[in-house]
Amino acid sequence: MSRNFRLQKVGDIKWLLKNYDFSQLAFSIDELVVLDVSRANRDLDRFCETIKVLTEGCFVPISAGGGIRNVHEAKRILRSGADKVVLNTALHTDLDSVWDIAREFGRQCIIASVDINKGNKVWVENGTKALKTGAKEWIREVVEEFPVGELYLNSMERDGTGQGYLFDLLDLLPDKIDMPVIIAGGAGKYDHFVHGLNNADVDAVATAHLFNFIGNGLELARIGLLSEGILLPHWDSKLAAQLKGIYSSNKFISEKL
Amino acid sequence: MIAIVDYGMGNVYSVASALRYLGAKPILTADPELVAAAEHLILPGVGSFRNAMTAMRERGLDAAIHEAVESRGAKILGICLGMQLLGSSGSEGGDTAGLGLIPNSTNEFLKTESGLTLKIPHVGFDTVNINSSSGIFQNLPSEADFYFTHSYRMLVEGLSGKIGTCSYGVDFLAAFDAGSVCGAQFHPEKSQTNGLVMFNNFLQK
Repeated sequence: MSRNFRLQKVGDIKWLLKNYDFSQLAFSIDELVVLDVSRANRDLDRFCETIKVLTEGCFVPISAGGGIRNVHEAKRILRSGADKVVLNTALHTDLDSVWDIAREFGRQCIIASVDINKGNKVWVENGTKALKTGAKEWIREVVEEFPVGELYLNSMERDGTGQGYLFDLLDLLPDKIDMPVIIAGGAGKYDHFVHGLNNADVDAVATAHLFNFIGNGLELARIGLLSEGILLPHWDSKLAAQLKGIYSSNKFISEKL
Repeated sequence: MIAIVDYGMGNVYSVASALRYLGAKPILTADPELVAAAEHLILPGVGSFRNAMTAMRERGLDAAIHEAVESRGAKILGICLGMQLLGSSGSEGGDTAGLGLIPNSTNEFLKTESGLTLKIPHVGFDTVNINSSSGIFQNLPSEADFYFTHSYRMLVEGLSGKIGTCSYGVDFLAAFDAGSVCGAQFHPEKSQTNGLVMFNNFLQK
């Protein structure tokens, strides 16, 4: 799960659903990002099946990516239940395809993912190839010239460490930015989310750290953030559980909530 | 029979998934005969108004929807572009006539509205102010959060009755319940509990 560039292999989707109460988790998040980080044997069919499984019971926007390089792959992903595609290397090697995807599905369907490591270097191809362009200039190009809807900014050095987000990355953003910025890489505990969401340059905080998926950590984090006055959308998670199967069992919720 | 109209535009699987969670068994169809015979219709949609109306006309789905709703008493819920298609016309891709089930028209968000510079499209969770607690709005708080992603919007215009509005530069029409014709500009299938509540309310009609 963790994109930790020193990958932690944890198991397939069935393992995930069995060991983590995903249905509970699904009601604690605003959006889900699913990235295929397989290197040797990328299998788009299998990934699309995984997305379909995750879509059941997950009623928030789903973004999926990992190795998408052309409009056909993007289309398959979007037909499997994803609402947006995450593009990283394609921004560098297949910009024509990025334009094709934007033309067909709209630029708000595209999340531009940028991986940054020490020395403000941008890495593509699962962190194996460094770009000559510096991070600041690359980010400017991505958000100002490319047809993308959101920026997902990931710190490779913090990814999987649980040591907190690298807020210095935000200095690489242009002064005026027209799209949501999601910060990723390093979240290990509740305080990290607070710091992230209290930062004016951050629109969303992302976590892939397994530790955050254990028990009801995310649920409590959400309650905590809301109680601190951080503006997250509200919904009633307990009610969601009560609604399961309600139509078929002909129950009516008659009391006014 | 609950039918999700699948004319090739829109995340029909997520809508189906939400209905299945509730215990319903919707069919996904582009067959005008099935659409005309359904008791509950859901019309999703993402993309251009013009392309959508063309896609529906090519398959005879516009006539099927009219028959279902106007002759057979079916209920219809339009989602996102699907809600806009229920109206009189839309300007995306050039002025195009809609299904005309409500009189409102659809136009683009202006980059500057009420003196504010807006980021278009309007994307993310936002708060809807609801004036009713019945119909599709039953059991929802009067200020409820839903997920939006759109560049075009309907205004309230003369529409009366059960409506929800959202403020983005202008107060636009976020949802309505006009009896057998209902609409949501946001995505109930992407709006957690509030969306599930709304789907359940619609299916109980």
